[in-house]
Amino acid sequence: MPEQTSALWPLGLYCLAVVAITTVILGISHVLGERHSEKGTAIPYESGMTPTGSAQLRFSADFYLVAMFFVIFDLESIFVFAWAVAARDVGWSGYTELFVFVGILLAALAYLWRSGALTWGTGGQAHAPRPGKEIEP
Amino acid sequence: MRPDDLAALSPLLILAGAAVAVLLAAAVFRSHRLAVALTLAGLAAAFASLSIAWPHAPRPVTTLLAIDHFALFYMGLILAAAFTVVLFSHDYLATTCLPTEGVGQTSGPRREEYYVLMLLAVVGSAVLVASVHFASFFLGLELLSVSLYALVAYRREGRLGIEAGVKYLILGGAASAFLLFGMALVYAALGSLDFSGLARGFARGDGEGLLPLAGIGLMVVGIGFKLSLVPFHGWAPDVYQGAPAPVTAFVATVSKGAVFALLLRFFSMLQPPRHGALATVVALVAVASMFAGNWLALLQTNVKRLLAYSSIAHMGYLLVALLASGPWAPTAVTGYLTAYIVTILGAFGVVSVLSTRSRDADGVEDYRGLAWRRPWLAGVFTAMLLSLAGIPLTVGFIGKFYVLAAGVNSDLWLLVVMLAVNSAIGLFYYLRLIAVLYRPPSEAAAGAVASLSLPLGSAALLTLTLALIILGVYPAPLITAIQACLP
Amino acid sequence: MTAFEGLWLIPALPLAGALVLAAGRRLPRRAVAAIGVGSVGTSAVIAALVAWQFIASPPAGHAVSQVLWSWLTVAGFAPQIALYLDALSLVMVLVVTVVGLLIHFYSAAFMARQGTPPGDGYRRFFACMNLFVASMLILVLADNLLLLYLGWEGVGLCSYLLIGFWYKDPANGQAAMKAFIVTRVGDAALAVGLFVLFANLHTLHIQNLLREAAEQWTPGSAIAVAAAALLLGGAVGKSAQLPLQTWLPDAMAGPTPVSALIHAATMVTAGVYLIARTHVLFELAPPVQSLVAVIGALTLLTAGCSALVQRDIKRVLAYSTISQVGYMFLALGVGAWSAAIFHLVTHAFFKSLLFLAAGVVIARLREEHDLLKMGGLRRAMPVVFWTFLVGALGLASMPPATAGFSKEAILSAVWNSGAGAPWLFAAGLAGVFITSLYTFRMVFLAFFGEAHGTPDGETDPVMALPLVVLALACLCGGLLHWPEALGGHGWLGGFLSSTFGTEVQAGPVGTERILGAVSEAATFLGLAAAGLLYARRRACLPGLVRSPVGVLLHRLWSSGWGFDEIYAACLVRPFVSLARFNRNDGVDLVYQALARANRWFHLLLSLTQTGRVRGVATGMTVGAILILLILVFQ
Repeated sequence: MPEQTSALWPLGLYCLAVVAITTVILGISHVLGERHSEKGTAIPYESGMTPTGSAQLRFSADFYLVAMFFVIFDLESIFVFAWAVAARDVGWSGYTELFVFVGILLAALAYLWRSGALTWGTGGQAHAPRPGKEIEP
Repeated sequence: MRPDDLAALSPLLILAGAAVAVLLAAAVFRSHRLAVALTLAGLAAAFASLSIAWPHAPRPVTTLLAIDHFALFYMGLILAAAFTVVLFSHDYLATTCLPTEGVGQTSGPRREEYYVLMLLAVVGSAVLVASVHFASFFLGLELLSVSLYALVAYRREGRLGIEAGVKYLILGGAASAFLLFGMALVYAALGSLDFSGLARGFARGDGEGLLPLAGIGLMVVGIGFKLSLVPFHGWAPDVYQGAPAPVTAFVATVSKGAVFALLLRFFSMLQPPRHGALATVVALVAVASMFAGNWLALLQTNVKRLLAYSSIAHMGYLLVALLASGPWAPTAVTGYLTAYIVTILGAFGVVSVLSTRSRDADGVEDYRGLAWRRPWLAGVFTAMLLSLAGIPLTVGFIGKFYVLAAGVNSDLWLLVVMLAVNSAIGLFYYLRLIAVLYRPPSEAAAGAVASLSLPLGSAALLTLTLALIILGVYPAPLITAIQACLP
Repeated sequence: MTAFEGLWLIPALPLAGALVLAAGRRLPRRAVAAIGVGSVGTSAVIAALVAWQFIASPPAGHAVSQVLWSWLTVAGFAPQIALYLDALSLVMVLVVTVVGLLIHFYSAAFMARQGTPPGDGYRRFFACMNLFVASMLILVLADNLLLLYLGWEGVGLCSYLLIGFWYKDPANGQAAMKAFIVTRVGDAALAVGLFVLFANLHTLHIQNLLREAAEQWTPGSAIAVAAAALLLGGAVGKSAQLPLQTWLPDAMAGPTPVSALIHAATMVTAGVYLIARTHVLFELAPPVQSLVAVIGALTLLTAGCSALVQRDIKRVLAYSTISQVGYMFLALGVGAWSAAIFHLVTHAFFKSLLFLAAGVVIARLREEHDLLKMGGLRRAMPVVFWTFLVGALGLASMPPATAGFSKEAILSAVWNSGAGAPWLFAAGLAGVFITSLYTFRMVFLAFFGEAHGTPDGETDPVMALPLVVLALACLCGGLLHWPEALGGHGWLGGFLSSTFGTEVQAGPVGTERILGAVSEAATFLGLAAAGLLYARRRACLPGLVRSPVGVLLHRLWSSGWGFDEIYAACLVRPFVSLARFNRNDGVDLVYQALARANRWFHLLLSLTQTGRVRGVATGMTVGAILILLILVFQ
């Protein structure tokens, strides 16, 4: 495919240019850049307050869990809107399909409720179900 | 949807229904036995419903799926394999996933979700083997993959399980991205998402451009990842090692088998040129997989990792058959896959049966002198390893023989020679493992692994061994069935 | 066709028996014996039914084939698992099952008396014996060479397992290994022969192959000679003929019933069967067929001489087997196929009888194998004496044991065949004298003369019964093929003619009678010489042995013509020294380099196994880029 490969050379040139410019900018700033090492140089807020503790905090998993439930059920409700728009066109078979879909959603909800995932607190936190399960056809 | 369509789809519908049923059952009444029983019943019902679907085949169901004899054969294979895996899983979870003391009902061991996930993965695999459209291909693949991410990390008390799950998730996500981008490029060039449309495009010669070629190249990455082909094989050893033994068996057999079936359908519908650039790529990947897999397995001391490397090599062998043209190629691929599934299930079954609560039996030391402690189990494992090595009178030999015959028939001499060389390398580590089985046991090993021996797993192992030998001596029914099912 | 439907049961039953015995870890001894003997017994009964139907109402074409299934069907290569029964395989099946049954029956008591070795040796013994019989039945019933080869290898495997049965003694293990390795030389030749046949005739189905060969190949063509020579290589190994005979005397390490089975019914007859089965190929290759005769003649003489000087009673019998199988080869070499099979049948009777009787003698004398330390056993064990005597008469082809007719049939066929016949006949005749001499040496030394100690206990009736049955068979065996010179009509030869077609024609009755008389004279001469030398232990024997020639011959013969030494000097030692010399260089290096390269690649690739996700992801990306480059730039 010579004509195709010959059409590629601007792309190659472009790539080279990108690499060259990046190298030049980084190189120049490396050479010309000002360096200093004072007492407070390495701390995040050089002239602000001194940080305390580690940056790696633990957040309560419950926040994620509820957020995730919201996203999942919210996304799934989009399918219902899509059906509602074309409800008359898809007829009874479409209605049945949506019925099955909502039924599966309900089953998932029942499972979440029964397994304690909706309980705020320690009961549901330790063994929260994983979110992979809700992706169903 | 017509009634005929529903009948043709019945295996898929039953599987999906079983998944919801197990989920609901877990919500109402937590019982490991109930979940297993429901799962097995669902798989068996789906298997039985294949006979309902059979008269309707071949039949396109929507534009996404085609229920033909090929799909039904592979669904049968997948269902049977999954059934066996569930049998092993019951014994495995009953031993390794015990209730923790003194904690309330809500925080006991969660064994039931395992089966929900497994059923969903089976649905994904079944969709894959029937799909004739990029959308269903991707949906099936993701359904399979996402379930597997969770299953791989199912044992959360150890470091390895979580690590394997996260690795599989990240890399699998990357691979899916490659796959999707590839599909997008192909679609951009050919304007079609279903395979028959693509085939028409290729027949017209639209597939020659840069865009579709690049797209197919990217798709090779995604599929190569699922099949753990070199250079996309990096996840295999870690995931095989970290996942619970039955899940590893599932990844190695059902997941790979389904993806390979899809690949076979894709290849046979698109008929890419046998000597073009794509064939070169596939041949290179095949050779690299064979060599890398076998070399990495050579001195490996962890049995699960060893089997992972060996499966990389086996996928390479399969690609040789895929590259071969002529009437033997699909038979060879399917025959080899069947043999491979039976054998790998048995091998991981032994690992699973030997596993203890604290860890999976994956060190070579666990197997030292097994023949003296558990002669039956050692016999089964020996049979499985011999079959992997392709020794005559086992089903592995039949598979390899067909692959070689297909390769020779299409004059793929270089690949055939590579395959023969690699069989010799492979023999080394299989025999090394067999030798370990028959060495006198060390005192430490004899006490260390006081493993379970529950009826379901033992029955499954016995069945697999019988199948291995019977199909090795009398393969005619299998070959006839395969040839009847292939287009 | 009813009895023929059950053909597959004949090999399947012993095979099933072997599997059950191998699996049944907690079977009591009685059950083990019942399964072991019962499975062979049932298949003997079925074989008898099949034989009855075959003779009463011969099937079309005098052959039945039963296709069980096809193993593979790939690109024109479709070996079937199928059985083929014609007159030849029927005779073989009867010999294997009936003699095998008697040996099994005997073993049930014999092995119980022996302090059986560690573990559950009794079960292991019967499992191996059943597998042995099953393999041999597969071998003789196979309708294609691939299945025959399966049986062939199975026989080899079982001989290894059984010769090394008492594995605690390393010497036994070495004997087993020797049997396995020496016969393997022949097996390799046979395997190459199969490849040659398949490459040229595109089939391994025996009957088709013989037909094709007869059509396509001209007699004496190079390819026919090569194929026949390779098959002969296999036969020579299994049947312990020159130059691969050295394993058989050492195979005595196994229990005595095993020896009986190897010598009479299963192992050594396989080579004879193979040549008889593929006789068409040998007829197409006259030089090879002459070679068969020469090998037979040389073997029968050398082994006979070795038998003369052995002190171990089982070694005498072993050399005698080599010598007798030499007769069969001689017959095959001159084209007297049915005479060879006739001798095979009678030999199975008398050799199993002799071995089993010797087993009783050895057991009752507390593991005494040395003939010179026996003596006077005539009175102590009359049943054994009389039956052993009948077997000896059969071996020496002397009346009233009619089993000896087979040797005379061979001699007459040799006389009546073409070129080179006088020399071969002379060798055969000398062999008759030698056979008679060593046979009666054995009888005189063991059963006559002074007693050296008293035997233990009584002869177990379970062990005596097979002896008596076999003795009767020896007395009547000749009736199968009553020679025409004595007014018979040679039934067995006529029966086998459906397989072999026309053979060497017998001469006029007068000549036949003279030949018979000459051979009888030779055998009586041997008896007289034996009586002279051994019965009374006259002074002439030590004199003879001490003369310089005598010393030399004694040493040469007692070591089996020094074949072991010759092989050690010509093959083993040069090979070992070559290996030693070569330890660090040459050919070895190639293999070491291969292993090292593989190891090196393993270590190299292991470096990539860091388990880091970023490494794996980089690999994927690089792979993807490479694939794209190939796709774009090719």
